[in-house]
Amino acid sequence: MPFPTGTSRRRALTGVLLALGLTVASSACNSGNDTGGTPGTIKIGLLASLSGTYEAVGTEIRDGFELYLRMHDGKLGGHKVDLIVADEGNGAQTAVPAATKLIKQDRVQALTGIVGGGSVAGVAPVLAEAKIPFVGSNGNPGLKDVSRSWFTSYLSDETGAAIAEYVRDNVKGEVFAIGPNYQGGYDQLRGFTDTFKEVGGKLANPDGKTLWTPFPQTTNFLPYFAQIKASGAEAVYTFYAGSAAVDFVKQYAQSEIKDLPLYAAGFLTEGGVLNAQGEAARNIYSVLNYSPDLDNAENRSFVAAWKENHDGSPTTYAMASYDAAAVLDKAIGAAGDNPTAETINKAIAGLGQIDSPRGTWQFSKETHSPVQKWYLRQVRQDGRALSNTVVGDLATVGG
Amino acid sequence: MMLQAARVLGPVDPYLIPALDGVAYGLLLFVAASGLVFCFGVANILNLAHGLLYAIGAYLAAALLDGGWGSLLLALGVGTLAAAGAGGLLAGLLAPVARRDHLTQALLTFGVALAGGALLVTAFGPDSLPVRIPAALDRSVEVAGHRYAAYRLVFIGVAALIAVLLWLAVAKTRAGMLVRAAVDDADMVACLGVNPARIRLGVLGAAGALAGAAGVLGAPIIGPAPTTGDTVLLLSLVVVVLGGLGSVQGTLLAALAVGEIQSLGVALAPTAAPFLLFAAMALVLAVRARGLPGRFLRLRPGGST
Repeated sequence: MPFPTGTSRRRALTGVLLALGLTVASSACNSGNDTGGTPGTIKIGLLASLSGTYEAVGTEIRDGFELYLRMHDGKLGGHKVDLIVADEGNGAQTAVPAATKLIKQDRVQALTGIVGGGSVAGVAPVLAEAKIPFVGSNGNPGLKDVSRSWFTSYLSDETGAAIAEYVRDNVKGEVFAIGPNYQGGYDQLRGFTDTFKEVGGKLANPDGKTLWTPFPQTTNFLPYFAQIKASGAEAVYTFYAGSAAVDFVKQYAQSEIKDLPLYAAGFLTEGGVLNAQGEAARNIYSVLNYSPDLDNAENRSFVAAWKENHDGSPTTYAMASYDAAAVLDKAIGAAGDNPTAETINKAIAGLGQIDSPRGTWQFSKETHSPVQKWYLRQVRQDGRALSNTVVGDLATVGG
Repeated sequence: MMLQAARVLGPVDPYLIPALDGVAYGLLLFVAASGLVFCFGVANILNLAHGLLYAIGAYLAAALLDGGWGSLLLALGVGTLAAAGAGGLLAGLLAPVARRDHLTQALLTFGVALAGGALLVTAFGPDSLPVRIPAALDRSVEVAGHRYAAYRLVFIGVAALIAVLLWLAVAKTRAGMLVRAAVDDADMVACLGVNPARIRLGVLGAAGALAGAAGVLGAPIIGPAPTTGDTVLLLSLVVVVLGGLGSVQGTLLAALAVGEIQSLGVALAPTAAPFLLFAAMALVLAVRARGLPGRFLRLRPGGST
């Protein structure tokens, strides 16, 4: 049994922390009514899926933020932080009430986290009404009004766009595009196919359109593999995450197209799924904005600190949340002695270059998402385990 | 010779592997769903925790398998027993509502499924888990000029054996006779002095054992993840609707049909994949609409209306 003790302990700890967070929050509320707020303390709300389908990603996001706090004496920008964690659940339906509670009841001065793009879209009106800044660390639905929203992750179509040119240069022949039929899948694949066609690549799909598989009910990809085989493709590009990624990779490795090179958005082999895929994932190429083996000072201290408390290496999800804390750290520090929601938001806009485990990046003035470098990674042996190893730099995308 | 085969088969060739895989997938669904059919047909229990029983088997497979043959046997034994035990526990929970309608049972068992699923995630973590099968099976083999997973090929044989044993058990043994009798006339069987509670326990235990075995053997195909229980429950319910109740042959036919729709059907019409299965289900319901409800009513305790 690879996980049980560590995980249950972590979950127990989560419960304790949650309870603690709630107690601290309510006592802070009381003192707030009496004395007008504890001077110097700042309240941050973190919303992430701590239960349900995206629990694995949600816990990484919570842990990444908490790790940054732990490494900085529980302070952001010189102010002691009350971090109030709430459960986003499976989507907007649970995320909106949780966010409303954080904003209206706990009166947080900034919000961070949120796994799902749908949850971000659902929470956006609540945030707009409260006029507090949101530093999102994963879901990024491409909001129309981003005046108070900032994202440390990426836009979903940037992943594929970053690798398209590399695939064109390295595949002699046509490439088959396949992905899941939900919004994230559409965006991920569109980013690849649009850019790929733009730079002169040719898709092997019969009508030049991506093949969509029903999500989440598809557990068997063999019939699709038969179609890829029949198309005469020389390589495959795909995006899947979670258990669909495990099924896809395991079945691919024993299918009749197992010798076709597989290129993918990095989520296909990111985090816990790589462990479940095992040998089947070896040699898969993927594109992502992060890999734990990146060689820079920020990343070395991040990975070392992460490994003190966790079994495996950190994922891009944990890194983006760690960066969200870094963004708030710098912005709160720059927002004066009595930071308000308004001054913090202004300070984020003026941040400029941010040193991060992924390398340096900055917010795009237009989309408020990172302008960042993407990396080509390959699943290779690293000591006893397989890991995503950086094998090269790809395009810098964003804005 | 392989090339010749490919040339002779011509346009059929790309669909050979999907067709073969439809059999493997269908047989897995048969072993997984037959327990649900028994529960419904014999004990008149709509067990929405059935997917959970499969998930127990799948998670135990992930925990116990270490790539050796011994561990495969051990996992099969432990997984089957554990799921049978869980089935027995369910029977106990259901005892107070035994005379109530399907809705009550559905609510109770669905609640158990949610709680049990959460417990599995607490114990094993929210990630999909690796399943380490013996190395001899963890590779692909050549079938008529195509590559196909060796494990699935062997699985077809094993599942077919289970299907035959199941049919023999129902057709030739005393327990099987009781099962058939209970399907035909539950009240009469009760009149003959067979305790309904005991039938319920036996049926849920056997259903658990089947689901657990399916979970262990099927773990490399539908693997342990937080969604496993829901996936298996949904597909099993489709098999129940298509195949009717109380006959091994009907269930087998329905399971194979679902397998082929999910595999060959998807290969033939990939753009229709999102609704292919449910279109087929609607079609069967439209044609057989009179057959299924009739059977339902006859099976209700008291046989009212």
